[in-house]
Amino acid sequence: MVDGTQHEKPPARREFFAAGCVAIAVASVGFLASTFRFLVPNVLYEPSRRATIGSPDDFPPGSVTFLPEQRCFVFHGAEGFYAISSICTHLGCNVNHVSTGFACPCHGSRFDDNGRVVHGPAPSPLAWYSLAVSPRGELVLDLDRTVGPVFRLRA
Amino acid sequence: MAHTSRGAVVAWLTGVGRSVSRIGWPRTDKDRAAAMISSFFLHIHSAKVNRHSLEAKYTLGLGLISAVLFGVLTVTGLALMFYYVPYPREAYRSMKDLQFVVTFGIVLRNMHRWAAHALVAVVFLHMCRVFLTGAYKAPREFNWVIGVGLLLLTLGLSFTGYLLPWDQLSYWAITVGTNIAAYAPVVGERLKFLLLAGHTIGPLTLLRFYVLHCVVLPLGVLALVALHIWRVRKDGLSGAEPAREVVEEVSGAFPPSTKTYGLMALTKRPSASVEASDPADEVFAWPHLLYRELLVALGVIIALHLASLVFMAPLEEIADPTRTPNPAKAPWYFLGLQELVHYSALIGGVIVPTLVVVALVALPYVDRRPGGTGRWFAPERLVANTIFAAFVLATVVLTIVGTLFRGPNWSWVWPW
Repeated sequence: MVDGTQHEKPPARREFFAAGCVAIAVASVGFLASTFRFLVPNVLYEPSRRATIGSPDDFPPGSVTFLPEQRCFVFHGAEGFYAISSICTHLGCNVNHVSTGFACPCHGSRFDDNGRVVHGPAPSPLAWYSLAVSPRGELVLDLDRTVGPVFRLRA
Repeated sequence: MAHTSRGAVVAWLTGVGRSVSRIGWPRTDKDRAAAMISSFFLHIHSAKVNRHSLEAKYTLGLGLISAVLFGVLTVTGLALMFYYVPYPREAYRSMKDLQFVVTFGIVLRNMHRWAAHALVAVVFLHMCRVFLTGAYKAPREFNWVIGVGLLLLTLGLSFTGYLLPWDQLSYWAITVGTNIAAYAPVVGERLKFLLLAGHTIGPLTLLRFYVLHCVVLPLGVLALVALHIWRVRKDGLSGAEPAREVVEEVSGAFPPSTKTYGLMALTKRPSASVEASDPADEVFAWPHLLYRELLVALGVIIALHLASLVFMAPLEEIADPTRTPNPAKAPWYFLGLQELVHYSALIGGVIVPTLVVVALVALPYVDRRPGGTGRWFAPERLVANTIFAAFVLATVVLTIVGTLFRGPNWSWVWPW
């Protein structure tokens, strides 16, 4: 039975190539994935998230100062200093400080004096950032630390 | 003696010419048909075409116009690349150079801008034409899907091209656009980070958009356009065929064709869809099709030149990350989307566009009823056409509202 013996014999060569093809396919997917990871930058050359913004005297009582670099407003109210982000929580435009609070020029979101949404598509209130006094007596703004709308820094 | 040497030169030159083009300039119908078949570039068309497929009132030439516009965009875009520097402030300066210093720079930039705007409009109209004539039905379902891909690539090209001038308009349009992407569930924030190469728009963002705009997306368009046209060629133009049955060939059996197509007979289609049912309807592609195409292409190029001499492409002040213009508007083709986003970023910016794309892709596989193909506004397609008309109307109305009726703080204003 020549046929029988031929059937029992495993087609090793074909299997070898099939396994090889699978291995090459897996390796290709791996290379693609690593290329994708390559596109995610590891170092960012962006402005520091934590910065000294000047002496408290630079922000006289009752003043509102817009810090363009940090994209936030610094207020000096009756109870102390506080900082509210100017980045609209909707799509990231800079909100303008208006008499009723804040207004976004892009899609019409309105916020009250504390940054709470009054009207429009913004899904959440404007962020409040932590302020501190450095050992040198300068104000330090930390964009990575958000605080509640009751935050006040007494100078 | 002189006579024979001139004859030798002519013969030699003819030989050179024949090495380039085997037929030479064709002077008879037969030679022209042979040229159509043997030329690499011309064999995009068959040698003979159906007379009905030449009727301008059926296709409106929109697919051809988009192809011409893409060609113009490639040429002008390549030219602009010789002066453009993809680095934040330098980018804006090179735009100013193109506008005021480089000879014909302003015309090339204008042409690129207006051709891009026209392409968005024409591609959209082409989609409307294909829908309203029912041309997406079998066997052309997948070509419709490729077309949807081309529409998305066109919008992607417009979007990535928008950041490159680095003016206020581009900067804030891209801010808004990438923040819309951030609303996508799960991957949103990562996608935004990947697009921006960081948290804010910076040099790497510009470079990323530049590479996408000049290399990645055009190559994608090129690949899909090739497929798109290839399939049109294989399936024939939808209006040309009398509503005949599409018979699937049993694999392995050669069709009993009266014409010889060689291996072409192995394709699934009953024939190469070239010939009309009535031989009297067949005309030679050269001159009937070729000259029409040439005429349309010339018309498009002349119109673009005129527009570019009269209307200047806008360039606002240099991008200022600290000051958002009021109102901050996206380009007009995204103003419908911006109007939707104004109601809700998640619904308007992610869910509705996703549903629209899914619906467009699924359309030819959902609407499988035969018939109504090859005619405008076929009565048996009344329901489908009405739904589609509503979709188009909504898009147009939203775009018009976003463009004309929205003023500072995106509040309602009357344009007059």
